[in-house]
Amino acid sequence: MPTPPTDPSPAPAAAKAPAIEARGLTKTFSDPRRGEVRALVGLDLECHFGEIYGLLGPNGAGKTTTLRILATILAPSAGTARVAGADVAREPLEVRRRIGFLSTGTGLYPRLTARETLRYFGGLHGIEPEALEARIEELIDTFDLRQIADGRCESFSTGQRQRVSIARAVLHDPPVLILDEPTTGLDVLASSAMIAFVESRRQAGTCVLFSTHTLSEAERLCDRIGVIDRGTLLAAGTYEELSARTGREWLDEIFLALVEQAGVDGRDGREEARA
Amino acid sequence: MSGRPPSTWSATWRVAQKELRSGLRDRQTAIYTVVLPLFLYPALFWCTIQGFLFLEGRREHTAVTVGVAAEAPGLEPAGLSAALEGRARPADPPPDLARVTVVPLGTGVAPGEAGEWMRAGRALRPDALLHLSDPRGAGAEEPARLYYDSTESASNLARERLEPRLDAFAETLREEAATARGRDPRELVPFETDERNVAREVDMGAYVLSFLLPILLVLMSVMGAFFPAVDVTAGERERGTAETTMLLPVPRLAIHQGKIVAVCCSSLIATTLNLLALGLSAGHLLNMLALGSEVRIELPLAALISVAPLALLFSFAVSAVLTGIAALAQSFKEGQALLGPVQLVFIVPAMAAAIPGLDLTPGTALVPVVNVALAFRTMIRGEALPLEYALTALSLLLFAVVSIAVSVRVLSREAVQTGGEGVWPTRVLALIFSPGSSR
Repeated sequence: MPTPPTDPSPAPAAAKAPAIEARGLTKTFSDPRRGEVRALVGLDLECHFGEIYGLLGPNGAGKTTTLRILATILAPSAGTARVAGADVAREPLEVRRRIGFLSTGTGLYPRLTARETLRYFGGLHGIEPEALEARIEELIDTFDLRQIADGRCESFSTGQRQRVSIARAVLHDPPVLILDEPTTGLDVLASSAMIAFVESRRQAGTCVLFSTHTLSEAERLCDRIGVIDRGTLLAAGTYEELSARTGREWLDEIFLALVEQAGVDGRDGREEARA
Repeated sequence: MSGRPPSTWSATWRVAQKELRSGLRDRQTAIYTVVLPLFLYPALFWCTIQGFLFLEGRREHTAVTVGVAAEAPGLEPAGLSAALEGRARPADPPPDLARVTVVPLGTGVAPGEAGEWMRAGRALRPDALLHLSDPRGAGAEEPARLYYDSTESASNLARERLEPRLDAFAETLREEAATARGRDPRELVPFETDERNVAREVDMGAYVLSFLLPILLVLMSVMGAFFPAVDVTAGERERGTAETTMLLPVPRLAIHQGKIVAVCCSSLIATTLNLLALGLSAGHLLNMLALGSEVRIELPLAALISVAPLALLFSFAVSAVLTGIAALAQSFKEGQALLGPVQLVFIVPAMAAAIPGLDLTPGTALVPVVNVALAFRTMIRGEALPLEYALTALSLLLFAVVSIAVSVRVLSREAVQTGGEGVWPTRVLALIFSPGSSR
């Protein structure tokens, strides 16, 4: 996949400040059948511009909840989070203007064409009509969408949908990209194209936070990795740092060691509390 | 890359445009919003009238029999059979339509026997029986009595045909008797009542339409909003685009308002197309039905234009209510099931327009749904009730504003936006008890 052109201007507000900063992020859901469900328990997170940060964890660990809070889809029950300088609780609209969000489902409106989709999002981002049309043409060329630009999204293949979805996410050239398991369900070609795209954003100075449970992907792409389990960030650092901390060489071993350690600590903590 | 973000109203309109475009590209929504109002309902209307005319034609072609029985010989006046059969003179052939065949049942039949004859249901029983009593006999109250069975359509039809013919025959006998005695026949009727309808043909037509169109207005508003309301809420969740919509860089208020506006536009499109199609065809079709009577159907253009602002407010309220409720559903199918009974909340009160004696008053003008139906009925009849119309508009405006506010509040709840497992009553509970709302 070709590298999309980027806006060379610096990221808004605080280029030196973290692109994403979460402190004590907590999320509880009220479920009539299960009672109170704690999806996140005081999660701390820090990502920087020009950095690819991988959030690694098993299913149900809280990865998607974290990303959804950062993207303002969900409101945090407690704690704070800032994305590109905007507070997710107090300035959610500003956060949405500064992020690009991608998920496996792509979430494209099936009855709109690729061009209409880009025009709709561009219009809502307040891009002037002339500039928007130029940008759409640019993205159509960049992501090789010329053949399908005027076709309805419902008729696209998975790979084509993913390309349109990426074009939509970077249309306004956001300083922060949040990707929720972007390669799940993709074939090898589409998956490697997605990985190439993520790598390309590093050079553009974009902060990319993505969740995955594919260890090889995290190993290959991430500048730093955060391991999350049961709503808590167990550890965060570069691959080398995590390896040194656990004494394991391979990421799957590192991951398992951290999760097991957390389990032991959790049990000890509970026993201490009972004592 | 981002420029100046659009205002909430501008964003609302952009969202509405997108939802409307997307909705009209959905086959099911397009059928219910455009195709059905434009073609099916007028077609159904036409079929109903054709069916009515067909049944009426069959009725006219149905022959019935009347038995004539007399208590004593010589009681049957000359020309009675011809008169009952609808022949002007005894030598004339019977008419092709509304045929009655007279079956002589003989003489010596007592009145009680005649009644028993009809009740017993003998094999040779006629559809009706005319019994001629002996005026000199004991207990005779009237010279002729018509027996029929009200539980049988042929017997009812025989009665309907025979009554006017018997009246006309009695009148002829009176006139002949008076003339034979050298008297003016009019002297025999010292007091006669004549009925005259002073309503113009057009007014009569408006009266007929005033019962039909208000119900259609409400019905089409609800039907037109039904599928779009499900499509923009539960449908969106089912398509997996709800998250994308929540990530739009505009206030959530604009998104929810945009959805309601799109649903309202669909409702108005359906209503306008339906009234237009019916208006163009109803005159012709209803005139076919009322042919020969004193009714002339004309499209009440002034009333249609006058009712437009009220219809707009009503559509907004309907759209907000349906959208808010459909948002509680997880899938399109569940949304349809949920809105089915809700439709009745609007449609049943609209029947008020067909209740004789229930008029638009300052009191009824304050009752949503009932007021728009009654106001439209009053407008079609050409009555000017400025106070009642103003109160109707005010009531509908309040209803629309409250409905939109509540609907936006429901749509804004995180529990509704993110959905969840379980049936919708569970989600309603979750909605009530869930803290805060998304922004």
